[in-house]
Amino acid sequence: MTVLTDIFKSTLPPPTRKSERWKYSPISKLLNSTLSTDSSEIDGGFSNEIAPNPVEGLEAYRLVFRNGKFNHSLSDLPIAKGVICMPQSEVSGEDVPEFKNTYSKTEWVGELNESYHQDGLFLKIDRNIKLDRPVLIHHLTDGKDVASFPRHFVRVEEGGEVDVVVWSSSTKNSSGMYNGILEASIAPNATLTLEKVCNEDGKIYHFSHENIIQERDSKFKMHTFTVKGHWVRNELEIISRGKGTDSIFNGAFLPTGNEHVDNHTTMDHTSTDGTSSELYRGIMYGTSTGVFNGKVFVRPDAQRTNAFQQNTNIVADRGASINAKPELEIYADDVKCSHGCTVGQFDLDALFYLKSRGIDEKAAKALLVEAFLADVISSVPCTELREEIMKIYKERHGW
Amino acid sequence: MKGTEEENLLSEVTEKNYEYGFTTEIESDTIAPGLDESVIRTISKKKNEPDWLLEWRLEAFAAWTKMEEPEWAHVAYEKPDLQSISFYSAPKQKKELASLDEVDPELLKTMDKLGISVEEQKKLSGVAVDFVMDSVSVATSFKETLGELGVIFCSLGEAIQEHPELVRKYIGTVVPQRDNYYAALNSAVFTDGSFCYIPKGVRCPMELSTYFRINQAGTGQFERTLIVADEGSYVSYLEGCTAPQRDENQLHAAVVEIISHDEAEVKYSTVQNWYPGDKDGKGGVFNFVTKRGICHRSAKISWTQVETGSAVTWKYPSCILKGDDSIGEFFSVAVTNNKQQADTGTKMIHLGRRTRSTIISKGISSGESQNSYRGLVQIHPGAENARNFSVCDSLLMTDRCGAHTFPYIEAKTPTAQIEHEATTSKIGEDQIFYCQQRGIEEEEAIGLIVKGYAKDVLNKLPMEFAVEAQKLLTISLEGSVG
Amino acid sequence: MLKIKNLHAKVGDNEILNGLNLEVKPGELHAIMGPNGSGKSTLAAVLAGREAYEVTDGMVELDGTDLLDLEASDRAREGVFLAFQYPIEIPGVSNLNFMKAAVNAKRAHQGQPPIKAKDFLAKVKECSSLVELDGKLRDRSVNEGFSGGEKKRNEIFQMAILEPKLCVLDETDSGLDIDALRVVSKGVNAMRSKDRAFIVITHYQRLLDHIIPDFVHVLSNGRIVKSGGKELALELEDKGYDWIKEEQNA
Repeated sequence: MTVLTDIFKSTLPPPTRKSERWKYSPISKLLNSTLSTDSSEIDGGFSNEIAPNPVEGLEAYRLVFRNGKFNHSLSDLPIAKGVICMPQSEVSGEDVPEFKNTYSKTEWVGELNESYHQDGLFLKIDRNIKLDRPVLIHHLTDGKDVASFPRHFVRVEEGGEVDVVVWSSSTKNSSGMYNGILEASIAPNATLTLEKVCNEDGKIYHFSHENIIQERDSKFKMHTFTVKGHWVRNELEIISRGKGTDSIFNGAFLPTGNEHVDNHTTMDHTSTDGTSSELYRGIMYGTSTGVFNGKVFVRPDAQRTNAFQQNTNIVADRGASINAKPELEIYADDVKCSHGCTVGQFDLDALFYLKSRGIDEKAAKALLVEAFLADVISSVPCTELREEIMKIYKERHGW
Repeated sequence: MKGTEEENLLSEVTEKNYEYGFTTEIESDTIAPGLDESVIRTISKKKNEPDWLLEWRLEAFAAWTKMEEPEWAHVAYEKPDLQSISFYSAPKQKKELASLDEVDPELLKTMDKLGISVEEQKKLSGVAVDFVMDSVSVATSFKETLGELGVIFCSLGEAIQEHPELVRKYIGTVVPQRDNYYAALNSAVFTDGSFCYIPKGVRCPMELSTYFRINQAGTGQFERTLIVADEGSYVSYLEGCTAPQRDENQLHAAVVEIISHDEAEVKYSTVQNWYPGDKDGKGGVFNFVTKRGICHRSAKISWTQVETGSAVTWKYPSCILKGDDSIGEFFSVAVTNNKQQADTGTKMIHLGRRTRSTIISKGISSGESQNSYRGLVQIHPGAENARNFSVCDSLLMTDRCGAHTFPYIEAKTPTAQIEHEATTSKIGEDQIFYCQQRGIEEEEAIGLIVKGYAKDVLNKLPMEFAVEAQKLLTISLEGSVG
Repeated sequence: MLKIKNLHAKVGDNEILNGLNLEVKPGELHAIMGPNGSGKSTLAAVLAGREAYEVTDGMVELDGTDLLDLEASDRAREGVFLAFQYPIEIPGVSNLNFMKAAVNAKRAHQGQPPIKAKDFLAKVKECSSLVELDGKLRDRSVNEGFSGGEKKRNEIFQMAILEPKLCVLDETDSGLDIDALRVVSKGVNAMRSKDRAFIVITHYQRLLDHIIPDFVHVLSNGRIVKSGGKELALELEDKGYDWIKEEQNA
C-alpha cells in the first residue's frame, strides 16, 4: 500500500486558483486529505452495488478494474485477428506501450499519474481491421480515501476502426481520487470513437486526461458525459498532426447539489485542411458549478482549417454558476474559425407553449432538457449506450 | 466641436506654453531618473499638493513595490526599466532638427493624410523643441460657456488646487491605488491629466476633448483622468493620442476613472495612435492603461475605441454596473500591423438587476502582428435578469499574423442571459475581386472592405473623430496587401 | 471591339479553355451557350482578370489594348464589366459608397475630377428606376441580405452606373423568377447602344426571349463549336446539347 500523503512533495506544485488553467477548479479540499492506493489482492471481488457491466444489453468486450486493478474474471477480452486487447500488466516484450504525452511534465496531476500509475487498457488495432464490438473499460472506485491511477493506451493502425467506451463508477460511501490518462494515436485513414462516461457516487475527485494524436485523414469522434460526479475534471487534448483530419467532440454535463464539473478541451491544428467541430452543453442545478474551457489553436502552417466550437449553458437554479472560456488562437490566415458561447435559462416561451398544451411544468422542462441534450446524445453511435445515458440522466433529475 | 476648432485650440494652448517659457522652467526642474519615495515627495511638492494626496501617492507606491508586473496577457516584450525613466517630465537633450526636411518622409506622409497642419507636423515630429509637453489638457477657451452650466473641465493638477474636495471624494474610487501594477505606479507618480465634472441634470453641450502626447524621449507618461457625471447628466468625452517616432520604447501607463451617477450617461471615445514602432518592431510606445467606470442606477457608460498605434497595448476599458438598470457598452476596433502586439478588450461586471452590456470588438491583424481580444463578462448572484451580448470578430490580412480571442464568461444567476460569438477569417478574396472588377484598385478595395467590417464601431464615434479614425485605419494597413 | 484569339486557360491543372476564338463588334450582342462545364464561366472570369485562372496561350484585345496584361481593376476602368453569377456580399460597405468609389476610380483613370454629389445622385436615381431597385436596397451594404433577384438587379444597376464598353453577363438569369427576369432584361435592353457590346452567357434559352442576341455561340470543351443567329438558341432549347457533341464526334 502506498500512502499518498507525500503527494504534495511532487516536483510540480499542485495547481492553485492562481494558475490560469485551474482558476475555476480549486482542489484545496483534496489536498487536505490522506489518500492511499488499494492494496487488496487481484481479483478481490467487485461490489454489490454496481454491476460489472454498467450498460445493460450492451454487447461489448469488457475490461473491468476495481480501484485501478484489473479483474480478470469479470472481464471479457476479444480474440480477433489483428487485434491486441489486454490489460497492460499482461503485455510483454516489444508490445509494451511507450507513452509519449508530456502531461506528466507539465501538470501536477499528470506527474501523479506517472508516479503511481497502475494498470489499464492496451489496445492495438492492425491495418484495415474493424473490431466488431466496442471495447468497454469499466472502472470502479470502492472504499474510503482511495486513489487510483489508470493509464490506457490505444493505437489504431492505417484504415483500422474501433469504438472504446470508458465508464467510471463508484459506490456510495467511497471517497478519494480517480486520476486517469488515456493516450491514443490514430494512423492515416483510421477511425477512433471514444465515449467517456462518469457516473460516480460518493466523494471522488475525478481527473481524466485524454491525449489524442491524429495522423493524416484520420477521424476521431468523442463524447464526454458527466452523468454524476462529486468533483470532475475532464481534459481532452487533440493534436492534428497530418492534413485532412476530422475531429468531432461533444459533451454534456448536468451537475446538481454541490457538484463541480470542469471540461477543458484543446484542439490543436498543426496541419492543413483539418476540420473540427465541438459542442458542449451544460445545465447547472442546485448550487453546482460548471466550467467550460475550450481552446482552439490553428498553427502557422495549418491553412484551410475549419474549426467550429459551441458551448451552451443553462443556469437552472439560484446558487448555481457557470464559468466559460472559449478561446481561439489563430496563426494562419486562410481559415474559418468561430465559436459561440451562451448562458441562459430555459426558454420561457417554449415552456409556456408546452404548458398551454396541458403538459405540467416538470414534464415540460424534461422535454426541453431532452431537446437540449439531443444534439449531443443523438450522435453517440451505440444505441444501448445512448439509451442508458439518457435513462440515468432521467432517473437522476426525476424527469 | 469641429475638427478645425479643435486644432486651433490645440495650437493655442501649445503656443501659450511657449509664450510662458515653459521649456526653461521644466529643464531646471529635472529630477534624476529612477523611482523612490523621495521622487514622489518631489513631484507632490512641485505640484503644491495637499498632504492627503501625498499620503495617497505614498500608499500607492508602497503597494506597488510589493507587486509584480503582470504576465498573463498574450504579449511578449522586454519589460521597461523603470529606474531609467524620469518620472518628472524631464526632456533629454537631443539633436534638434532644423527643418521638416530632416524628418522621416514616411511620418510626414502619414501626417499629411491625417490632415495635420504643417505647424502641427513640426511639433509632432519634434522639430520645434520648444513644444515640451507630455500631456496637454485642452478646453480652456470654452471655459466660460461651460462655467455657466457649472461644468468643470480642467487639468487634474488645477482641479487638485481649485476643487480638492471633489478630487478627494472620487479619485481612486473606481481604480483603487493597488488595483494592478501599472495603476499603482500611476497612482504614485501621475503628473497631470484631465478632470471633468458635470453637475446634476446638465447635458454638456459640446464634446470635451483631450489630446495626449508623449514628446520627449526617455520619459514615461502617467496621466490620470477623472470624470464625474452627476445625476441625470450627460457628457461625451474624446481622447486622442499621438506620439512622435522614437527608436526606444516609451511607457504610457494611464488611468481613467469614470463615475456615472444615477441616470447619467458618459460616452468616452478614444482614437489611440501612439507610435507603433518601425517595421522591424524597433521603438514604439508600451501602452499599459487602466480604464474603468462605475454606473449607478440607470446610468450608462459607453467606451468606444479605435486602436491603431502602440508597440504593445494592454488595455481593458471596463464597466462596473452597480446600479439597477445600468448599461455598459464597449465598441472597439483594434488594428495591428508589422510587429505590433495588442491585448485588449473589456470587463463588464454586472452587479445590479436588469443591467445590460454590449460588446462589439473588431480585430484586424496584418504583417507579423498579434492581436488578442480578452474580455470578461461577470454576472453576480444579485444581477437578476442581466443581459450581455458580445461579438468578437477577427480579420486576418497576412499568413504571418495572429488573431486570438479569450473571453471569460462567469454567470452566477439563473436569469442571466449571455450570448457570445466570435469568428476569425481571412479578408475575402472574392470581395476584393468584386471591387477590382468595378475598377477599384486592390489597396483601396481592402480599405473599403475593412472600413465596412469596422463600420458598427466607427458609427459610434462622434463625426469628426470618425473621419480621423477611418483615415487612420487605412494608413495603418498600408502595405499589408498580400 | 473585342478580339479573342486562340485563348487557352486553366485552373490548377485543369485545362478549361482550348483555343477559343471570338470577335465582338460595337453594338453587337453575343450569346454564349453550352452545357455545364463547357467553360462559359471561365471565359467570363478570364475576361475580367480573375487571378486563379491562368492564361497559357492566345490573346484578348479590347479596342487594341491587350487586356491580359492588365490587372482586374484596370480592365474595369478600360470598360469591361462583369455581371457576376454569384455577386458577393460586402458587409458594412454601402452600395452607394461602393459605386461612388468605382465611378471616381474610372474618372481618375480618365483624368477627370471626382463626380459631383448632385450629378452622382441624379445618375443613381436614373439607374435605379431602370431596374426598379428601391431606395432601401441602394442604401444597404453591397448585396448584404439581398435576395437572388435583388442581387442580379443590383448587378445591372451597377452596370448602368458605370457605363462600360463591354458588358459580360455571367448566367444572369440563374435564380431569377419571371418578374425579375423581365426587369433585368429591360435594364439590359435599355443599355444596348451602337457603341456598347454584350456577351451574355447562359445555359438556357429563356433569357434570350427577352434579350434578343445578334449571334449565338455554342461552347463545348473550351472552344466555340457552333455559331449562328438567334434561331440557334431555339434549336438548342429544342434538342439539347447532345446533338452538338455528336455532330462534333462524327
